[in-house]
Amino acid sequence: MVRTVRVGSADDDRYDRSKRLGWFDLDRVSGARVLLVGAGALGNEVAKDLALSGFRKVTIVDMDHVVGSNLSRCLFFSQADAAKRRAKAEAVAEGMLRLNRDCRPEPIVGRVEEMPPELIRRFDIVLGCLDSIDARLYVNALAYPARKVYIDGGMEGMVGKVMVSKPPDGACLQCGMNRTHGKIASLRFSCTGKDVVFHEPRLAAEITTTSVVSAVMVREALKVVSGHPEMLLDNAFYYDGQRNVSEELEIDLDPGCPLHAGRS
Amino acid sequence: MPVRIKVKNAETGASVEMELETENTIDEVIESAATFWSKDMGAYVLRKGKKVLRGGHTLKDAGVREEDVLELIPDPEGG
Repeated sequence: MVRTVRVGSADDDRYDRSKRLGWFDLDRVSGARVLLVGAGALGNEVAKDLALSGFRKVTIVDMDHVVGSNLSRCLFFSQADAAKRRAKAEAVAEGMLRLNRDCRPEPIVGRVEEMPPELIRRFDIVLGCLDSIDARLYVNALAYPARKVYIDGGMEGMVGKVMVSKPPDGACLQCGMNRTHGKIASLRFSCTGKDVVFHEPRLAAEITTTSVVSAVMVREALKVVSGHPEMLLDNAFYYDGQRNVSEELEIDLDPGCPLHAGRS
Repeated sequence: MPVRIKVKNAETGASVEMELETENTIDEVIESAATFWSKDMGAYVLRKGKKVLRGGHTLKDAGVREEDVLELIPDPEGG
């Protein structure tokens, strides 16, 4: 069979450059059902990368509204959004549509802890852009038993981390935590929003760190849904922009972790 | 049995020598080091090379030996 190639046709294909990766599977990516939890600084960047990468079915959960100080690091928020105190999940969903009309984002305004636990089963993959340990542990406790890959991102100033939990094997998010996590589990590490603990001098999100962390999260999500688990991060990616360090860290499964009871 | 190790502060490059018992836990080392450096309230982990040490493990369980250098790193939780 003779294939006809038109000069310049590659430039008309929105996903041509992604397809050149070789392993990128557009059908799987566009069909994947993604749960994005958190629509703050990191959630904005992750949503941008998802939309541009070809993800379409993205459900965005966030309880907060936009305020002026978000605007230095949140692509999809505007001054008008801040003036109207618009829900972050809605602003992000609208922004994804602006970037890619094929997207079908679904905003849910509310706390993830208030979502029905069975909601997780609707999704193929979960991306966490949260600002509290309690919320992370809640998502982790839903995702791991439901065998959903959970990619969690966290930042503080110039330091960022991405952890990939790949049930049924390997460590979950909780396995890497210790007593210091327990002491602050209920606190929110955010610069804005309800119930915020740290305003100054803590710096929860810094846009260049946010960009690095979000890029790694979405890249790992692309590997998962394209069917290449062998390319995934083993455990955690750690980034320190001040020291110019980025590396993979090893976190062992903890048989004492409630999600792995009885395993060794 | 006493063991002397060095803990490095990833955020400042400073280090401190600690004299510990092999039955001391990683949690105790993290808290002692964080207190010594007056760290902000937050989550921290201790690493040995690329491995993140489990908080509840004793130094013996974690395979920490005399003259080991461990690093205290912040575990970022913001989003």
